[in-house]
Amino acid sequence: MPTPCFQCFWLTLLMASFFAAPASAADKPISFVNDVSPVITKAGCNMGICHAKAGGGQRGFQLSLLGFEPRDDYESIVNEGKGRRLFPPEAARSLILRKASGDTPHGGGVRLQKDSESYRLLKRWIEQGAPWGSDSEPKLVAVEVQPSSDVIPMKGSKQLKAIAKYDDGSVRDVTSLALYESNTEAMVHATDGGLVEVQDIPGKIAVMVRYQGKVSVFTAAVPLGATVEKLPPAKNFVDKHSFANFKQIGIPPSDVCDDSTFLRRVTLDIAGRLPTVEETNAFLANTDADKRDQTIDALLRSPQYADYFASKWTPLLKNRRDVKSDITANFAFHAWIRDSLLANVPYDQIVRELLAATGTVVGNPPVAWYKRVKDPKEQLEDIAQLFLGVRMQCAQCHHHPFERWSQDDYYSFAAFFSQIGRKPTGIQGEDMIFHKRGVATARNVKTGVALRPAALGSDVGEISADDDPRLRLADWMSSKDNPFFAKALVNRYWKHFFKRGLIEPEDDIRDTNPPTNPELLAALEKHFIDSGFDLKSLIRVMVRSNTYQLSALSNKHNANDRQNYSHFYPRRLQAEVLLDAINDLTGATTSFANLPAGTRAIALPDNSYNKSSTFLQFFGRPNSQSVCECERVQSSSLAQRLHMINSNEIKTKLATSGGRAQTLASSKAPLEERITEIYLVAFSRKPRSEELTTAMDYIKEPILDAGGKPIAESTATQQNFQDLIWALMNTKEFLFNH
Amino acid sequence: MTTFRFSLTILLTCITSSLYAQAVCLPAPRLMATMPMGGKVGSTFDVAISGQNCEDVESLHFSHPGITATPKIANGEPVPEQFVVTIAKDVPLGIYEARLMTRLGVSSSRAFSVGNLPEVKWNLANRSVKDAMPLALDTVCNAYMSSRAIDYYMIEAKKGQRLVIDCAAQGIDSKLKPVVILGDEKGADLIAERRGGLIDYTVPKEGKYTIKVHDLTYLGGPHHFYRLVARTAKPGKAVAVARMPSTRKVSACSWPPVGLDESNAVTETEPNNKHTESQAITLPCNLRGSFFPAADVDTFEFSAKKDEVWWVEVASERLGRPTDPNVVIQRVGSDGKMIDVAELNDIKSPVTVSSNGYSYNGPVYNVGTSDVIGSFKAPEDGTYRLQVRDLFGGTRRDPQNVYHLVIRQAAPDFALAAWALHMNLRNGDRNALSKPIALRRGATMAIEVVRVNRDGFNGEIELSMEGLPEGVSAKGIKIGAGQGRGYLLITAEKDAPRGLAGATIFGRATIDGKEVTHRCKWASMRWPVKDQWQEIPTPRLMADVPVSVCETEHAPLVIVAQEDKVIEATEGEKLTIPLVHTRFNDFSGPSISLRNWNSGLGSVATIEASLTADSSEAVLDLAAMKTKPGEYVIAFYGSAVAKYRYNEAAVGIAELYLKQSKDAATAAATKAKQLAKTAKTATPEQKPEADKAAQAAAEQQKAAEAAATAAQNRLKSVTAKAQPRDIVDIVVSKPITIRVKAR
Repeated sequence: MPTPCFQCFWLTLLMASFFAAPASAADKPISFVNDVSPVITKAGCNMGICHAKAGGGQRGFQLSLLGFEPRDDYESIVNEGKGRRLFPPEAARSLILRKASGDTPHGGGVRLQKDSESYRLLKRWIEQGAPWGSDSEPKLVAVEVQPSSDVIPMKGSKQLKAIAKYDDGSVRDVTSLALYESNTEAMVHATDGGLVEVQDIPGKIAVMVRYQGKVSVFTAAVPLGATVEKLPPAKNFVDKHSFANFKQIGIPPSDVCDDSTFLRRVTLDIAGRLPTVEETNAFLANTDADKRDQTIDALLRSPQYADYFASKWTPLLKNRRDVKSDITANFAFHAWIRDSLLANVPYDQIVRELLAATGTVVGNPPVAWYKRVKDPKEQLEDIAQLFLGVRMQCAQCHHHPFERWSQDDYYSFAAFFSQIGRKPTGIQGEDMIFHKRGVATARNVKTGVALRPAALGSDVGEISADDDPRLRLADWMSSKDNPFFAKALVNRYWKHFFKRGLIEPEDDIRDTNPPTNPELLAALEKHFIDSGFDLKSLIRVMVRSNTYQLSALSNKHNANDRQNYSHFYPRRLQAEVLLDAINDLTGATTSFANLPAGTRAIALPDNSYNKSSTFLQFFGRPNSQSVCECERVQSSSLAQRLHMINSNEIKTKLATSGGRAQTLASSKAPLEERITEIYLVAFSRKPRSEELTTAMDYIKEPILDAGGKPIAESTATQQNFQDLIWALMNTKEFLFNH
Repeated sequence: MTTFRFSLTILLTCITSSLYAQAVCLPAPRLMATMPMGGKVGSTFDVAISGQNCEDVESLHFSHPGITATPKIANGEPVPEQFVVTIAKDVPLGIYEARLMTRLGVSSSRAFSVGNLPEVKWNLANRSVKDAMPLALDTVCNAYMSSRAIDYYMIEAKKGQRLVIDCAAQGIDSKLKPVVILGDEKGADLIAERRGGLIDYTVPKEGKYTIKVHDLTYLGGPHHFYRLVARTAKPGKAVAVARMPSTRKVSACSWPPVGLDESNAVTETEPNNKHTESQAITLPCNLRGSFFPAADVDTFEFSAKKDEVWWVEVASERLGRPTDPNVVIQRVGSDGKMIDVAELNDIKSPVTVSSNGYSYNGPVYNVGTSDVIGSFKAPEDGTYRLQVRDLFGGTRRDPQNVYHLVIRQAAPDFALAAWALHMNLRNGDRNALSKPIALRRGATMAIEVVRVNRDGFNGEIELSMEGLPEGVSAKGIKIGAGQGRGYLLITAEKDAPRGLAGATIFGRATIDGKEVTHRCKWASMRWPVKDQWQEIPTPRLMADVPVSVCETEHAPLVIVAQEDKVIEATEGEKLTIPLVHTRFNDFSGPSISLRNWNSGLGSVATIEASLTADSSEAVLDLAAMKTKPGEYVIAFYGSAVAKYRYNEAAVGIAELYLKQSKDAATAAATKAKQLAKTAKTATPEQKPEADKAAQAAAEQQKAAEAAATAAQNRLKSVTAKAQPRDIVDIVVSKPITIRVKAR
């Protein structure tokens, strides 16, 4: 027998009277959508960790995330929970108010003070019979932040105003109800009331203002205010826009780095390896004015460029070895990327071949991506994040909280992948991929509507049953006016060479996450599109710039700069690069299963080698699980330090037979020359005089055995060379690209 | 309880171990590799061979009589595993079969190429740019890849020269998945080809260039062989370059249709991607086109009358291309809109092929293809359009991806392919073995024959075989109407003489009242695959069907009807057929379950026949089986685990040889001792001569002792091989013909 619902009874009575008699002026009807829902959102009740938690909210009280589904929320508050959440005869006794004000124990703590306007509004709404509102009430169309941009001094602050705009032309100040979120907490903090408090780091800041599904962004420059007098020559548009930014922010850049630093930096960044002694000597001896450009071109022609950038792309494309038989697919896929980069296949063509791959893995290796990523939802999410810099995951279940993407956007994007046909092959888990004839649609699971393909709100036209919709998606991506495709790539590559993306994270491009230098980003995007999506041309323009070639050493003004590129930001060598560099320095090699002797770590085709290499694990080589570059761990750890200092692997490399220590110890060349060789390999420079003196003295030092007697000089010399190499290997100058 | 579980675990472990201790299928002779893998027409050269179960190699045979081989002789003795091969001047360029005749009979085949370019063999030391092997242009290099290695070659080319680098591997039976990279003089990569395609490169400047070859996953060994050539070609990418010859996949058994003149085809003309650009054709039609460039669509327009039925066939995959043709036929409506009439796709295999599941569950041979055979019926008089696409071609740009389109009125026909039967012989059996028709005396070998129907034919097909060696006969279990497969049973009599002959398999059917006979294509595995999970089986079509009988071994169990005659029976009676068992090996287990293939006779109950008795009985209740009058061929089959001894005769020979060797060593020792003594006591004048003789005798003694040691080792080896081993194999009775008369 159902339990009588007295609250419902009261509510019904009250609502009946509400609708029977018009409200007085003081009792102006309160709208759930325009009044109540903003209060609930501001109070944080519908955050993902609270009542908007997927799968039932908290204690059976489910709200939609950030109030994106007000009708559902209304049902949940007013009609669900057996009606006990509201008690109109005595509104203050309503469970929703008792919980929110702390009268009753509440896991989320006190969310509304009893004396607050928000509490009073909710109470009045309940007293009015908890009306939904009317269809004729104005609808929110935008939220505007005032001002939209400004210049704020360091340690300064600015009060923002949030103005809601409705479809009837009315506006409302919602400053107290809007939510504020800084894009960089280290630089700026925004209070609940919309006060922007700037810290002491110069640069560009942004604060997102959100009100009921609408967002707006406040941006500001935080100048250092120093005079920028000395600038290196502007070599290209990268310098033009970077230098303009230096001037605007008032950050004097560091000097241009010396030749040795440049050679080491650019070789590591383009080819993922240290320059050889011969290359260093030749470069330092070269007197051509354009010798840096010559080096860049030579590196871009080298197979190591392709190897290195393949090692960047293959983990993102999930080239993962789950079972032994994956080896053929993984090797083929890796080689396809590598060969495409070597041949400088235009980026849009590479993406097209991957996105619309058909056939067998060996016959057409990008098909391997569809072996690894089988779920159409994962396909669309990966493609959007990787190639468009758009994170669509949230929109599968609800409106994207920081973006304009709805569930319709999500499923209409998924429709591009709806006609992928699969045929079995003789290899376990491997299918042949083809376009299954039919009109592509995907069903919005919430509305049940079958949606035709659309690309993030863009109409791609009618796609017939015969046409592979993925090809249309590829067409849309590579069109010149695509707002995402080129931007995502240039930002990703900028991060590769400059440590920080113009937009961070590099694959989270949205209106609410503006770039730190929009003019530069736009210019790079234009260059990339105009070049026909030429990756080498893009790299060339970045690394030829004096912005890239600035010294890592800061001046008295720019030490704190983290986003304007006023000096080079040093970064630890990636796992594979570091392992190769150690091999180059010690003269050792690392043997990898199934690969020829001498294969470099940057040429490893998949993640399977991580299992057998503690070095690669410790230094964060990714396991190809995620489409995010963050899977590659670049942070430091104790394990890394211990491994470098005291591991058997490093000891073995130092003592390797025929290695550098042994060769130099037995060499008849002058000691100065031998020590210089080590410095040239490790740092691409000759030792400074004090370094040379110290090193020479050390090499000559005798070593005593356990009995206190000197061991043989040749043995001691070799051991001392090992020590010297070990010491250099453990310097920041070696471990970092700087 | 614990004890019970423990015992059960041990029991299961023992069962599992015992199961996996069994080998599958009796040893068959297999030619694994030749070096070189081909030669220049009109030349004579040495060929080294390596095989499996191939001792006592008698001869090397080729599928063309113009290619002959004689044993290589050095110092008057044949050199083991070496032949001198001559290719006559009139042998057409192409690919042929090479096989050995061995103790156990004819071996499996290895592809052998005949070309018109000079040929060389590579040297093993080409593992770096520094050690790169110089390779002249327009010269074929025969090589095999080592594991985790890269082979380096150095070529010299002139500016503007067009080089086409081709590497034959999988098309000549190699296990190599070749990667070919053209690099500069220092070995830095310029262009890479990893999909088995050509490198087509116009040389930018005169100089040296490297060619690197390796396996896709760096596998290697003598079975990873390849033929590499850097050819000069006429400038201009539009000028097509022929590839080195290649064997054909099993699916190609159904191409071309009988009577098709491929050379008389019209050519597709671009642009014809859109409906508005349709290329006009008239039916019937014989057309050649290509899926090029990427996402190419070829649209053809024609007229058809109401109720006309047209058959459409497309070949592309069967031409060796990695394509998936798709045909859509639409009618042009009065408003110009297109109305779907038919969509035609793959040709399915008529039998379920292997799913690569836990255990063998079907043949790994697939006569199915991604090509198209299908029909459409015109719903009205009017204009129709047919579009051809490659469902694998959305992003690929390869002008070599050609197709052949035929539109015809129904011409019902069939094509056949056959291969040696395999069946699930033990739990987890994932074998896919190459099985030459090398019959042991008394053996009956089952051949699976599968058909591909054309234009609606689905009638009965009789199977037969001709050209068999003496003492060998074959009977076919026909492919019934509506069925996909039949069987051929090839039997060697128990006393059949050693022999080898080139046979032919035929299929005969009555189509539209006319008798039609076609040769059946023979297929085999390139390699004996023991585990399909670890190695993907790659069967192919063979050029011929050799059949041999060996005298050295008998089938472990021979089952024949007591009377070698056509058994007469009357409809509805109960027929008893006495069977005689002759065992040439011991067996594990007490009995064998004998089943039989669907011969049209009806369902025959399984016979549990003793593996120790000399006879059994098959009782056929023709009434229960509802057998209709007619003539039927049946054979009983099952699997049994034989205690097989490999090449027992070799033990006796090795013992004899050892005795002779030991005797020779003893004699040599005695002589050496004697001459040493003589040398000690010799006069100064005799001393030099005596010392010389003693020295020579000592060396002879050493050689004789080494020979004795070798003989000892050989005896040990052949004795070990001849130890009884559990091998499970298919046992098939000699086929029996039953004539059922009407009551």
